[in-house]
Amino acid sequence: MSDAVHEFTLDALEWHPYVQPVDLQQATPEQLDALKVTPSNTKVSAYVLVLAQETEMLAERSPLFNDIMYSDGGLSRGGRELGALAASFVNHCIYCAQVHANRFIQLEKRPEVVDEIYQNGLEADLGEYDQALFNFGVDLTAHPDNVGVYQFYHLRETGLSDLEILDLIHSVAIFGWANRLMHTLGEPHRKD
Amino acid sequence: MTTETTVDVIDKVLGLTPSSPLLALREQRAKLKHLTQTSYVAALHPADPRNFSYAERATLAARMAALWTSQELLTHYRDLATMEGASGDVLSIADPTWKPEDEASRLAVILRHVDLVTKNPKAATRENIEKLYAAGLDDRDIVTLAGIIAFVNYQVLVVAGLKMLRDN
Repeated sequence: MSDAVHEFTLDALEWHPYVQPVDLQQATPEQLDALKVTPSNTKVSAYVLVLAQETEMLAERSPLFNDIMYSDGGLSRGGRELGALAASFVNHCIYCAQVHANRFIQLEKRPEVVDEIYQNGLEADLGEYDQALFNFGVDLTAHPDNVGVYQFYHLRETGLSDLEILDLIHSVAIFGWANRLMHTLGEPHRKD
Repeated sequence: MTTETTVDVIDKVLGLTPSSPLLALREQRAKLKHLTQTSYVAALHPADPRNFSYAERATLAARMAALWTSQELLTHYRDLATMEGASGDVLSIADPTWKPEDEASRLAVILRHVDLVTKNPKAATRENIEKLYAAGLDDRDIVTLAGIIAFVNYQVLVVAGLKMLRDN
């Protein structure tokens, strides 16, 4: 088996849980129902099968995650991925960062933004708009008790509407959730 | 049930009224607002609480709110803990400076995990999960605990961000 990865990377990874996932063959009707809608609508992963241990929470969480990341209007898809990436860098969720950095590149066709973040981490020097989104994601994740007029002013200065700011808040916050599951319940390995 | 399911907790703790601009903004994302509330119920007052009582869940949430000095949520969760019948050691959980006398007890191990994953999740490793197993938690307990911690931290961040919008 390949070694666990503890440094940020853009290489393809697979997540190995520390706890026992639900066995799909023996899943209860409630578990199967909760598994119907999975984050990002991908096939049933080890991650989702671990979360299926707690069916009631998973059944709400999957559609919540999808609505936060994919709803129409408001902040761009790329902007939401940048919020997710900022949170994942603060919380050191290697797997989350890899997935959402690659999504950002796919959506925005601007790999240089991700390169700068992977190079300089929380000190990344970005264009004004990306910087505002990224800094807010870092600040809200690291110091939710110290977010106020300063952060608001910077977001407003870049022209973000109330709805766009609301979408950014949610995309950062849902990774305060996701990182605390993915980074603590398992670890990524490089795909062979 | 004592956990109110019809009143949106985040609207309540932020003191939003029908005329609040922030309420109108939140309604533009009605689906996620609703799912945030149903996730709250799933984390704090699920149909089957199994090995984490409603009182214990509410006091753990109060502790996390206190760790982030989220005063609005701390007040809410302290009230909820009382409503759920928390007393004795369970009530003490809400105070982040409190530790159980027996440092090897299930509760002590759980609290160390809650504190770590709330304030410094990046430092969590496989070893932290091994400690939960050693304290007698099973696979589902560990996922339940992770889910409660993750949800409350999400809620703290959402409330912090919304407060910024409300006050500026």
